[in-house]
Amino acid sequence: MNETSTSDQEEQTVIAPQIATEGQLASDVADILIVGAGASGAAVAWRLTQAGFSVVCLEQGRWFNPGFYPTTKQNWEILGRHEWNWDPNKRGNPEDYPVNDSESDITPLMFAAVGGSTIHWTAHTPRFHPSDFRVKTLDGVADDWPLTYDDLDPYYDMNDMMMGCSGINGDPAVPPRSPRPMPPIPLGEDGEHMAAAFDRLGWHWWPSDNYVNSVPYKGRDACNYCGPVGFGCTRKAKSSTDVNYWPEAIRLGAVIKTHARVSEITIGTDGRATGANYLDRAGNIHHQAARSVVMAGNGIGTPRLLLMSKSDAHPDGLLNSSGLVGKNLMFHPYAMTTGFIPDLSETWKGPMGNILMSQEFYETDPRRDFVRGYAYQLNRGSGPLFTALGGAHQPVKWGAGHHEDFAERFGHAITLAGIGEDLPEEHNTVTLDEQLTDSSGLPAPKINYTLSENSHRMMDHSIKSATTVLQEAGATRIMANPLLRGGGWHLMGTARMGDDPERSVVDKWCQAHDADNVFIVDGSVFVTAGAVNPTPTLQAIALRAADYIAHERDDLKG
Amino acid sequence: MPTTDRQLTDVDRVVLTRVMDLIIPSTGDFPGAGGLGLAERLERASMRYGRLRSGLLTVLDAMSLDIASRIEGGFAALDEERQIAAIASVESDLPIQFSEFVELVYETYYTDSRVYEHIGWADRPPQPEGFDLKPWDPTILEKIRNREPFWREVS
Ligand SMILES: Cc1cc2nc3c(=O)[nH]c(=O)nc-3n(C[C@H](O)[C@H](O)[C@H](O)COP(=O)(O)OP(=O)(O)OC[C@H]3O[C@@H](n4cnc5c(N)ncnc54)[C@H](O)[C@@H]3O)c2cc1C
Ligand code: SF4
Repeated sequence: MNETSTSDQEEQTVIAPQIATEGQLASDVADILIVGAGASGAAVAWRLTQAGFSVVCLEQGRWFNPGFYPTTKQNWEILGRHEWNWDPNKRGNPEDYPVNDSESDITPLMFAAVGGSTIHWTAHTPRFHPSDFRVKTLDGVADDWPLTYDDLDPYYDMNDMMMGCSGINGDPAVPPRSPRPMPPIPLGEDGEHMAAAFDRLGWHWWPSDNYVNSVPYKGRDACNYCGPVGFGCTRKAKSSTDVNYWPEAIRLGAVIKTHARVSEITIGTDGRATGANYLDRAGNIHHQAARSVVMAGNGIGTPRLLLMSKSDAHPDGLLNSSGLVGKNLMFHPYAMTTGFIPDLSETWKGPMGNILMSQEFYETDPRRDFVRGYAYQLNRGSGPLFTALGGAHQPVKWGAGHHEDFAERFGHAITLAGIGEDLPEEHNTVTLDEQLTDSSGLPAPKINYTLSENSHRMMDHSIKSATTVLQEAGATRIMANPLLRGGGWHLMGTARMGDDPERSVVDKWCQAHDADNVFIVDGSVFVTAGAVNPTPTLQAIALRAADYIAHERDDLKG
Repeated sequence: MPTTDRQLTDVDRVVLTRVMDLIIPSTGDFPGAGGLGLAERLERASMRYGRLRSGLLTVLDAMSLDIASRIEGGFAALDEERQIAAIASVESDLPIQFSEFVELVYETYYTDSRVYEHIGWADRPPQPEGFDLKPWDPTILEKIRNREPFWREVS
């Protein structure tokens, strides 16, 4: 057994050779200062450098070298439990900020690095439905968005090309769309087995869209089905923004400053942003001046920074005249139903969360006891240690019966992850913790989040339907978890967009109502959550905001 | 509460080996977690992760404080049934620490080469080899392709 010291932190910091330079700004004042180098920040950096703006990005994390990700190590499952844990509180890297989630039903998950949480993500990439942008009109709940599916459609396409989407047209659950640049990832025997069960029930399924290469794409290898996906992809087959948007943006002149933790957005006497203060690794404070600030720190990092940027002029935090900064936090609740199917074996082969999805129960149906709906994402089984520890369920029992329990699960597991649309509620919040701080001494975010009754009923329904599918597929044992606590992958709603400055923080172009040179482009701006993974949608919104800046805000160019 | 820098005594190690065998028992000819000689590796692993270390020390202390153990002259002197009962009572009295301890036992056992071989798992990291997957078969879409579109139109 190789006990490689685990994250080999210094080794991993080596910058991938093709992006060996982080660049120099021509002037001290950037046109565009982006906070956060994750999914949304990278898309904006690429689009705006392409349009001739000078762009600097401040990122609290560092570059990782994909060659050193855990899947190259014998002890990858242990690394995944500790140094590469999805939960920043368990991982505890100095560049992470901790999160007080003691009063939240769901634990938020995220990563701090160039690439942001896309280093960890599983790259399952469906689009929102047109109805997701109109829930008030259609179902009388929450609010409509100030933009439509059609507004985002060209940006979804642009993002699919840049990130690299594998998938196939013809899905009856979604509107017609342009072809993906790559064919779908094969379903595998397990996926085909499950697809047949959905077919027999007459229920919808379709091969998942994935930002995982089914064939070589733009200089990155095809997936070789190694399995884990969620701990970085050493082949770069899984798309993360450090291997697509950022190299392009840097080639076009963008500058990234790593280990740069923004502590405050600075504001001039005219109420407009002048740049940001940030701390380097040694704790020294710097100021980056800019004509415009684009916030891309994710649905928790962005409201945290706005709340940290309070001043005499803005005692409740920046951009907060509506009082909505940090409110309406949405996660997607996940109910996990796992079947153990003796007819299937070695279900660990293939990308873990990227097989197929079902949108049979996506839209509101008045016959059900909840409004809006949910989707299923099918997940595979995992390696021996994750199997023994139970994943979303109870660990394999200790003592008598241990080996029988393990054998029943190992290689036979298929999970229907029910992902529900969580509606916005103002009492679900991100605030600043009064005691907990990050490694720079800045206040950590505190999450208050309670799952609604509607979502509970939705998740119960998803378990019942999943049980039907798994029984149809021949499962001899089924385990269900009605709410995955460690499932806060999707962070949305905490600086929502809208036309009314009293009911929203930014407008439909992501421009702040309170300061016309500040933009928010991450999941914070979501009005509602849909019932699919959010990243293609948030990147499409970010690209659209970038085009608005490029076409309408020449005043921001120096 | 034990400190995480406390070292294990020889008695602790004997108890640990026995407890590991009861957590993951032998199966057929294949030894349990203790019998495989994994206690030393577990102890080393616990040094790296403070949370698991405190689980280990708390559970070992609780074992030695168990009333039956004290009467009989230590955990090792109990018969198997009473050893299992002692472990079960630690599980119900200290559920968080106990689950951390079990996590540590599983981490040690289910990453051991001999166990990999026994359960049919290839003893190599996922990369660079990966796995094979049956190629994409478009005929699988035959039925679902013919379903009428059912997404909800908005005006
Ligand atoms: C394990 C996991 C699996 C996931 N799987 C999927 C999936 O299959 N499909 C999907 O659509 N989504 C998935 N997601 C979610 C997806 O990763 C996020 O939606 C997406 O990355 C969000 O993009 P973002 O730009 O808003 O933020 P992030 O990608 O989180 O990037 C934010 C960046 O900002 C930086 N930052 C924050 N505050 C500061 C500050 N004050 N100073 C400097 N830098 C700062 C952070 O370090 C970080 O790098 C997953 C997430 C995780 C964690
Ligand atoms: S399964 Fe494919 S995408 Fe996932 S980590 Fe392995 S090679 Fe990369």
